Amino acid sequence: MFEDRVTVLVGHFGSGKTEVAVNGAIRLAEGGARVALADLDLVKPYFRSRAGRELLAAAGVDLVAPEGDDAGDLPIVLPRVRTLCADPEVRVVIDAGGDDTGARALGSLSDLLGRLGVGFDLVLNFRRPFTPDVDSAVAMAREIEAAARLRVTGVVSNTHLMGQTTPAIVLEGCALARETAGRLGVPLAAAVVEERMRDAVDEAALGCPVFPVRRLVQPPFDQEGYRVPRSGPLFRVL
Amino acid sequence: MAKKLMKGCEAIGEAAIRAGCKLFFGYPITPQNEIPEYMSHRLPQVGGAFVQAESELAASNMIYGAAACGERVFTSSSSPGISLMQEAMSYIAASELPVVVVNIMRSGPGLGGILPTQSDYAQATKGGGHGDYRVLSLAPWSVQEAADLVADAFDLADFYRTPVYVLGDGLIGQMMEPVEFPEDRKPLRPLPPKTWATTGWRGDRPRAVVNSLFLDPIKCEQQNAKLQARYAQMRAEEVRSAYYGDEGDLDVLVVAYGTVARVTLTAMEDMKATGLKVGMLRPITVWPFPRDALAEAAERAKAILVAELSCGQMLEDVWLSTASMRPVHFLGHQGGVLLAPEEVSAAIRDVAAGRSAEVRYAG
Amino acid sequence: MPASGCDAKAVFGLPEALDARVTHYCPGCTHGVIHRLVAEVLDELGLRKSAVGMAPVGCAVLAYDYFACDMVQCSHGRAPAVATGIKRGRPDLTVFTYQGDGDLASIGMAEIIHAANRGEKITVVFVNNAIYGMTAGQMAPTTLPRQVTTTTPDGRDPDLCGHPIRVAELVSALRTPAFVARGAVHVPGEIVRTKDLLRRAFRHQSEKTCFSLIEILSTCPTNWGLPPDEALRWVQQNMVPYYPLGVFKEPGGIDRAPKPL
Ligand SMILES: Cc1ncc(C[n+]2csc(CCOP(=O)(O)OP(=O)(O)O)c2C)c(N)n1
Ligand code: SF4
Repeated sequence: MFEDRVTVLVGHFGSGKTEVAVNGAIRLAEGGARVALADLDLVKPYFRSRAGRELLAAAGVDLVAPEGDDAGDLPIVLPRVRTLCADPEVRVVIDAGGDDTGARALGSLSDLLGRLGVGFDLVLNFRRPFTPDVDSAVAMAREIEAAARLRVTGVVSNTHLMGQTTPAIVLEGCALARETAGRLGVPLAAAVVEERMRDAVDEAALGCPVFPVRRLVQPPFDQEGYRVPRSGPLFRVL
Repeated sequence: MAKKLMKGCEAIGEAAIRAGCKLFFGYPITPQNEIPEYMSHRLPQVGGAFVQAESELAASNMIYGAAACGERVFTSSSSPGISLMQEAMSYIAASELPVVVVNIMRSGPGLGGILPTQSDYAQATKGGGHGDYRVLSLAPWSVQEAADLVADAFDLADFYRTPVYVLGDGLIGQMMEPVEFPEDRKPLRPLPPKTWATTGWRGDRPRAVVNSLFLDPIKCEQQNAKLQARYAQMRAEEVRSAYYGDEGDLDVLVVAYGTVARVTLTAMEDMKATGLKVGMLRPITVWPFPRDALAEAAERAKAILVAELSCGQMLEDVWLSTASMRPVHFLGHQGGVLLAPEEVSAAIRDVAAGRSAEVRYAG
Repeated sequence: MPASGCDAKAVFGLPEALDARVTHYCPGCTHGVIHRLVAEVLDELGLRKSAVGMAPVGCAVLAYDYFACDMVQCSHGRAPAVATGIKRGRPDLTVFTYQGDGDLASIGMAEIIHAANRGEKITVVFVNNAIYGMTAGQMAPTTLPRQVTTTTPDGRDPDLCGHPIRVAELVSALRTPAFVARGAVHVPGEIVRTKDLLRRAFRHQSEKTCFSLIEILSTCPTNWGLPPDEALRWVQQNMVPYYPLGVFKEPGGIDRAPKPL
């Protein structure tokens, strides 16, 4: 995961793209890279990357999202997304909107992204009602590809039930993700495992690299510890 | 000027013109058609403009525009039309523009009927449209007072940069009474120049932008705080009410506004001989509600009777203002049925004699 | 001009009627081009100081930050009514609305038709991009048959959604005199022609002749899902055939006798 200079994360609404994108961007920045996280989730203004503004700023990640009085929360693509993607010095993570609807905005960047050859990872949570099985995941991948005009290059397993996730659920989802990757002819790039559960999950049984995450983007009623006083309308970031 | 005999609707129109209002935008609806008709005839005489809009939606946005460029403007309508205007009212309140809106209330809900009610009280006093805002609402009880309050409404709107409602029931609009328009009326307060108006930017002031969009949540919250501060000032300085009746201890305190207060006053005259001690508090501003005056009068009373032409809307403000100090009783009609003085005096007697059941907040 | 001694002359700069700030429009969006044309025309006709613009609800909502003149932000679709209020109160002001297709042709259809029918001496800049931009890609009244949007996932079906509304034609069907035209900004030649249409529209206003509406075909690369250059071609290939360019109505010389049915 995150091996290409530009990584695009797509998937269904609520498949966990944002969580993976934010964690990934922070990890890249911790590794010393110049990192930009582009929030292209134009479709749903809640629960997306720009809510993590303070957190990302602290980690040194450049968050590219409409902000404040200028255009805060307008569903637009900032021109800077293009500039950053074209800059060989910058690692870019693009958090796209949900399903083919959300991926359509990628189509407007497809001339550039197609030329660059980017990582285009499909994030899958088989516990979401939209992708209960491999067939529906494959169909969704094809729809996203058509709207974005880009081919999926990898699959990321992210089956979970938030706080109620068990190791069995992670393994069950990973098996389905592997089958989906096989059908799409791309590798299973990683399986997402929450850091708090790492000891409980049999990593060998996953058969792919583990991508550990902390749940960072949470609604204000779901938080422990440190709270950032001002973020988005629905958000504080842990 | 000598007194003239005028319909409420005509007096409202004339008062607006005398207040310097040169623009009217509206859409026909009974029982207030005499207001746009009067304006269509009078405004050209004073160099103003009258537009019959395609809907109340359009009319309310036309007054938004006219107010934005700094002109005095008003519209009038009746209940269903006022509902349709609520989107614009929210925008006008949020953008801090002065407008005057007359609602000659008819019965509802739905298409209801064309006869008088007071059933838009909640809409007029709690905001009415989306978001946190209030509208200063004045409730006249006579044609003369309607004319006076329209004049005041323009000053209050300009001073607070807010919509001001004049809330009359169908009777106020339709009845005829002698009216007098003072020749040398002074503004209620010194009015600041409208430096914010969109009159064309010549570089001599900051660019005028009339707007209610605040994408930054912090700025939006600050705008809300600004509006709330203004509402606090209205609560402190603009509350109006009138008290009638005995000054000492009371058997019954009646709370009524608009024409129901007229009916109640007649009932009080009728029952002088009974020896009952009765008083009436008449809210003139229904928002801000005369909470303190009511609480003070309630101190002296054994019981409170709320009389209104609705199913009990002002009743809730009476409960909130008196906080269960005294038992509250209710007398109302709906659907355009009026209250007769005999009904009011009978209700007063029943309350005094313990024959009436107290009504409690039922959620 | 810098005192460099050279006789270079500035031939291109920011119009006075535009604020010097970066707009929020997506790469390849032609809203910005249209803003510039409106601003240039206001400058050239000397109307900036009397101009009051109506910003819509839509992607152009922040136009009040971009035009360097007094502005009013209007509720969704009501700009022609707000403009009416201003123009009737202050006929000396130059009043224009700037509206998208959802704003003008869906929720605000009554307001635009009646403002045109009353012959309000205002200028309407109508930006037709065949989609809802601000709410991220739903069907607009001008969405083309079979065009995919988030609410027409299988393409617009005219049997269910009706056919796209040709606003310029619709408005020019009214009997009240008006100047109504449609332009586009996807190629330089059309940009020049559209600017001329805008110039004529504002001149009709300043000469108090009539209502004017200029429909302008515009791009939305983001919600069409097309790279900017392809979006420009899409206008030519798909929009222009359905939305022909040209002047549909001029104030003078029309026969106002009732037409036979
Ligand atoms: C009363 C109301 N309904 C709906 C909306 C949501 N809304 C905002 S913009 C918009 C459509 C904008 O599309 P268009 O007018 O075509 O302009 P564009 O964004 O494409 O430039 C809608 C439906 C709103 N703001 N107000
Ligand atoms: S969403 Fe479409 S209309 Fe809106 S700014 Fe972006 S490209 Fe332009």
